[in-house]
Amino acid sequence: MSAQRNHAYLKTRVSIYASRLVSPDDVERLKQMSLRQLGETYDLLPIFEQEITTRQKSGLVEQALIQQLMDELLVLLRPLSGHARGLLLYWPRKYELYNLKTLIRGKLHHLPMQEIRHNLYALPENIRLPHESLLQAENVLEMLRLLEQGPYSLIARQARLVFEEHHENFSLGAAIDRLYYTGMLARANMTDSKDTRGLKKAIGSMIDRQNILWMMRYRLVYHFAPSEAYYLLIPYGGQIQRNNLLELANLESLETIIDHLPEPFQSLLMGVAHITEVRQRLDRWVAHELHKLMRNSQDAVVSALCYLMIRDMDIWRLYAIFQSKLLEMDASLLHEAVPGTDDHSAVSHEEVA
Amino acid sequence: MFSALPMKHINIKVLTDDLPSASVILAGLNSFSPDNRPYEESALPSIPGQDFRELYNQAKTRFDKIASLVDFTPAPFDGDVTPISEEQLAASNQWLGKAWETGSDFEERQRNLIESYRNIDQLKATLANFSNLTIDLGQLQQEQPFLDTLIGMVPTLRLSQLKDALSLDGYLLFPFLQGEKESHVVIVGAKQPGPSRLKSMLDTAGFRSQDIPPELHSSPETAKARLDERRTATERSEKELNEAIQKWRGEVLSDLERVARTLHLATPYMALGEAARQSGELSRLQGWVPARDLPRVTLALKEKLLDPFVLESRDPLPEERALVPSVMRHNRLLKPFSQLVMQYGVPRYGEVNPTHLFALTYILMFGMMFGDVGHGAVILGVSIWMRRKLGGFTPFGIAAGISSMLFGILYGSIFGFEHLFHPLWIAPLSDPLYMLGVALMWGIGFIFLASLLNIFNHLMQGDRLGALFGDNGLLSLSLYSGLLGTGYSLYANGSVGGLWATLAILSLVGIFAHKLIEQEAPIGERLLVAFIETFETITGYASNTLSFLRVAAFSLNHVALAIAVFTLAGMMGQTGHWITVVLGNVFILVLEGLIVAIQVLRLEFYEGFSRFYAGDGKAFKPLTL
Repeated sequence: MSAQRNHAYLKTRVSIYASRLVSPDDVERLKQMSLRQLGETYDLLPIFEQEITTRQKSGLVEQALIQQLMDELLVLLRPLSGHARGLLLYWPRKYELYNLKTLIRGKLHHLPMQEIRHNLYALPENIRLPHESLLQAENVLEMLRLLEQGPYSLIARQARLVFEEHHENFSLGAAIDRLYYTGMLARANMTDSKDTRGLKKAIGSMIDRQNILWMMRYRLVYHFAPSEAYYLLIPYGGQIQRNNLLELANLESLETIIDHLPEPFQSLLMGVAHITEVRQRLDRWVAHELHKLMRNSQDAVVSALCYLMIRDMDIWRLYAIFQSKLLEMDASLLHEAVPGTDDHSAVSHEEVA
Repeated sequence: MFSALPMKHINIKVLTDDLPSASVILAGLNSFSPDNRPYEESALPSIPGQDFRELYNQAKTRFDKIASLVDFTPAPFDGDVTPISEEQLAASNQWLGKAWETGSDFEERQRNLIESYRNIDQLKATLANFSNLTIDLGQLQQEQPFLDTLIGMVPTLRLSQLKDALSLDGYLLFPFLQGEKESHVVIVGAKQPGPSRLKSMLDTAGFRSQDIPPELHSSPETAKARLDERRTATERSEKELNEAIQKWRGEVLSDLERVARTLHLATPYMALGEAARQSGELSRLQGWVPARDLPRVTLALKEKLLDPFVLESRDPLPEERALVPSVMRHNRLLKPFSQLVMQYGVPRYGEVNPTHLFALTYILMFGMMFGDVGHGAVILGVSIWMRRKLGGFTPFGIAAGISSMLFGILYGSIFGFEHLFHPLWIAPLSDPLYMLGVALMWGIGFIFLASLLNIFNHLMQGDRLGALFGDNGLLSLSLYSGLLGTGYSLYANGSVGGLWATLAILSLVGIFAHKLIEQEAPIGERLLVAFIETFETITGYASNTLSFLRVAAFSLNHVALAIAVFTLAGMMGQTGHWITVVLGNVFILVLEGLIVAIQVLRLEFYEGFSRFYAGDGKAFKPLTL
């Protein structure tokens, strides 16, 4: 009885929240608004009325939008316990891992503490990891020692390598991303879900997106060897598995990579000319898949997770619009970053950041 | 005595330069708790001491790191209480920064030594593993004309992906020793023309090359001996490092003491937080002070603050009640009981502090449930004997022991022997129904008292409706009285007493009506909720009253256990008899004693506190030195 009640609560909450998601038409409308109108719409006007720098305003907007997301997460967590709660609580860990990335890079490049702190996401206390000691570390070696003692010892190893070899080879970022998705999959496996397929599909679609994009970037932009490119990817995606990745890593042009992608990616990406377009189409596909799962999944936890993932995309689209208005960017640039009705893809945090 | 001390909200206007002094003076009195609520933000736009706080945090972090490295504990503070200026703090922080450079270097050397030990262990494991292979190890290290050969370690978790990745470049990977975190591998592949991709790939994979030292090229015995030599050398280095750290400790000790003192005295100003606000030369500080300490606070500021100041005080406003910290000062005897009450929650300001009631009823119920002169004497003796270990909890043990002894005299029980002396009151097993009746009466009295306290608490908070209609309010109490009276009438006279039944019905209607009105929902839902909640009120009173039967049940249980022990002892010979009696008593004392202690706590918290005690108050956390 209690499980059914919790399921009903979560489903209802997700339905209510889902009605507030940003549609492609909304994006077009928001892009036409002034900064003031945007501030009024999202209750962020007080930020723009303060006498602070544009950078500070941008930081506060980012913080406020993430806070909205975290508030919704806390509401969705209410009826959950056990592994299901653990899964949903793990999802925002990605922000914490972005913080970790920022922190390590900041220390490796000897940035002042204030500068690093400014670039960290402000997260609610129950999600935030204790990074203060890392931030207080006074030199790289001290930070590495602290990292080695904690749960990020594997990451510390990559960081030490970067520090000792004096070059950054993407391994650090890839290790952090991998750590996140591996943890996510481990929690999904532990969850006693009524819709295991849907759950794995949701996470798998995010991993597939990540793998395709980064495979293309490593091979075609940074010209990494197939072995290195393959090693940096996550070999347990939704529809692109280890064998596909091994095959794809050996290919040397955008067209051949797309030709060898399994369906639906081959049809989805047919005819694209550059990686930006690949990202836009992949984001659109991911959003579509997540929307489908959110509406149709039998398991309210899967719906809630999908909602959070879509909302996360929304947040970054909104943030891009806010930032473009703050920086008084050209409308065409904004359209390129945040396409609207004609191509309703979502901008992801990595492009905005 | 029965509630937290009356408090005053004070605000002190001082010159900004005097704020550190004011904070130290207040900290010395242990009577001022900062109030961090925002106030007068437009008139007093800035918060003083932001730079001071940043400095303090950095200095404290550095100090803690150094103290942990050199195992330093500052001596208890004793000396002149003087405020610390930002310049003094900055100078200490600067010294700590320099000292930590050395400390961090020591830490890095410690880490490298640990790494060395790990390498030696790994080499030993490698040696043991290679001893089974018919490979010339020297060959693996040499440059080959057509082959790339590497030996090293990679993360175990990523082993299979690395194997796949290397296969793309035509290399083979053989793990020969797999650990939980790292695996030893040999990588072999045809030498490739042009720049090697292997290096970049292996860097990415976090591959750590393992040079096979010359000593491993020799016979296993020689190799092992050489590795042992390396371990000895590392141990020597570790000893030298520890000596260097100790020497450095000696050099910095006096400075560390000085800095510890500076940080200690800087803490009060740092801890003011947003309770102080500033506009130019003028600052204001707000917080809570126990009313009876106010003259002492005023006098101390007058005597020690050089410049003039203005201190204003007022009573807490009704809407501030939830924010006012509760100060409870108990004597040594009540301290352990107060700590148990705090486990439930801090009393809200104005709420009845249940410590006295808790102490009295806990001790009474413990004695009633575990009445035995002998067992009580043991508890008393052990509590006195272990007073150093028990610390503040000693009075708790002594009181429980005495109560157990007194009830033992009333029950005529000593170490389970029920016939050695005549009970002053009753031997529990001689009339179990009487004992159950007494427990029931005790429970009814306890619930009555808890409900009256609840009504009093509501009245003190100005919540008259809550006192009348709320859960455990006056109406609930009259319902309880009505039900009890009706029940008794039925039992004694065989008929429902008209007056009691009328009281119960009227109260029930009143409670139902109130619950119906206070809901905000469609009428159907209102009716359902009101019905369920009213029903819960009745079942709650009934079940809580019956819960007190355990008070008698445990007193009976105590005798029953003793009978079991003596029955067993009776089956033994002379020696066995006494061994069984002693062991049986130890068993009763430990197991039953513990269970009774927990059961009484349960009755107090669940049947008592949940009726009248919110326990959601704020603890008083004064500035301290």
